[in-house]
Amino acid sequence: MSILSVNKLEKNFGRTVVLRDITFSLEKGKCLAIIGSSGSGKTTLLRCLNFLETPSGGTISVNDQVLFDAADPSTQLESQVRMKRLHFGLVFQSFNLFPQYTALKNVTLAKELLSKERPDYKANKRHILEEIHNEGKELLKQVGLGDKMDNYPYQLSGGQQQRVAIARALAMGPDILCFDEPTSALDPELTGEVLKVIKGLADKETTMVIVTHEMAFARDVADYVIFMDGGVIVEQGPPSQVIESPQEERTRHFLERYSNG
Amino acid sequence: MFQTVIGALNQGFLVTLKLFAITLAGAIPLGLVVSFGSMSRIAPLRYLTKTVVWIIRGTPLMLQLIIIFYIPGYILPGGSPWRGEAGRFTASAIAFIINYACYFSEIYRGGIQGVPAGQQEAGQVLGMTKSQIFFKVTLLQMIKRIIPPMSNEIITLVKDTSIARIISMQEVIWAGYAFLKGSHGYSGLQWPLFFTGVYYLVFNGVLTLLFGWLEKKMDYFKS
Repeated sequence: MSILSVNKLEKNFGRTVVLRDITFSLEKGKCLAIIGSSGSGKTTLLRCLNFLETPSGGTISVNDQVLFDAADPSTQLESQVRMKRLHFGLVFQSFNLFPQYTALKNVTLAKELLSKERPDYKANKRHILEEIHNEGKELLKQVGLGDKMDNYPYQLSGGQQQRVAIARALAMGPDILCFDEPTSALDPELTGEVLKVIKGLADKETTMVIVTHEMAFARDVADYVIFMDGGVIVEQGPPSQVIESPQEERTRHFLERYSNG
Repeated sequence: MFQTVIGALNQGFLVTLKLFAITLAGAIPLGLVVSFGSMSRIAPLRYLTKTVVWIIRGTPLMLQLIIIFYIPGYILPGGSPWRGEAGRFTASAIAFIINYACYFSEIYRGGIQGVPAGQQEAGQVLGMTKSQIFFKVTLLQMIKRIIPPMSNEIITLVKDTSIARIISMQEVIWAGYAFLKGSHGYSGLQWPLFFTGVYYLVFNGVLTLLFGWLEKKMDYFKS
């Protein structure tokens, strides 16, 4: 059963069509890689999934529940967007950690704020906060930063910051974790540590959508690959097909350019 | 003689300080409201706010003060609402608060817009509410950014309070000048006027130290 299904998604900025007829689905525990050149609409698609952009057409469903339907205004209420976002997590290209908080606080802050809405918050405040705190520590250990919990973002390398950002996204327990070119802002020698963490998540069957330029990584880790160009999905399928023996001319052209640097 | 002069100057500087403190207490929060207005998604509100800010920043504070103090006396049926020293003070406070709120609002706007959009988006995807994002994410980063321009503006405010002399507010320069003109049985005394400068220098020195300390306090993170 698919956990995420996107149907005929469209996005225009004014008269510019950025996404057209985007249809795909993703099964629970699988990893989807979206590849394509800059300006192909990959990032906009991720931003639509995370409700940072409002699609102009189509539907987004998670667990068979329609979260967004461009034709149905009742699915677009501002007041519900916040909770819908929690189905998705997003790791940004530029990390976007909160500079004034330690690594641990970056991971726990949103969960702490959200827990205030729990009916038992007042009665169990101490216990709830302690639990969130411990979970945060656990997540940082999981991404290999057990010894950096009290460091501020500026004291961490880019790769470490991105790993904190991954822990921060995981802390909210999203159904689907999205990555927007997670290693593009990193020095080449730091990409490995971040990719390793993402690979670890894939091994644990975390449902993920990754926009990436790392072809080798997409081939090795993704269960499914989408190639986008000019705002449409040109080709989709398992990596053995899309990356190793692409059917479409445009995909072949893109991959050739890639392997030639 | 020295004690008489110092006593009078102290009294004048107390008025200066009072106007300074009340202006800050009013303009710091009002400026935030004005800055939200000038960033509003509602276009008419945004244009209205920007027009007000343009008028207030584009005309002299002295003119605004004179208008607020004198004009009501001509147009209100009951005559001027500003009676006595308290009335002068209230009129000054209103003029100063409005004027400084407009200046602060632009500093705030710069500070808020200077915080990268990614910060807000990070808060959004983590399910934070708008107000949580403002208070828990944006605010401190904005404060760190605006300390230097705010300290400039606040030091200017200390000196600008002397403009209230135009409606005969008895602040420290008024008190110093009185000894030149003739007061307390003295006239032609020049040094009290010079000495008023010492009050400003010392007070602004203290403020400079305070802002330096604040900037240091914010040094624990970098944005």
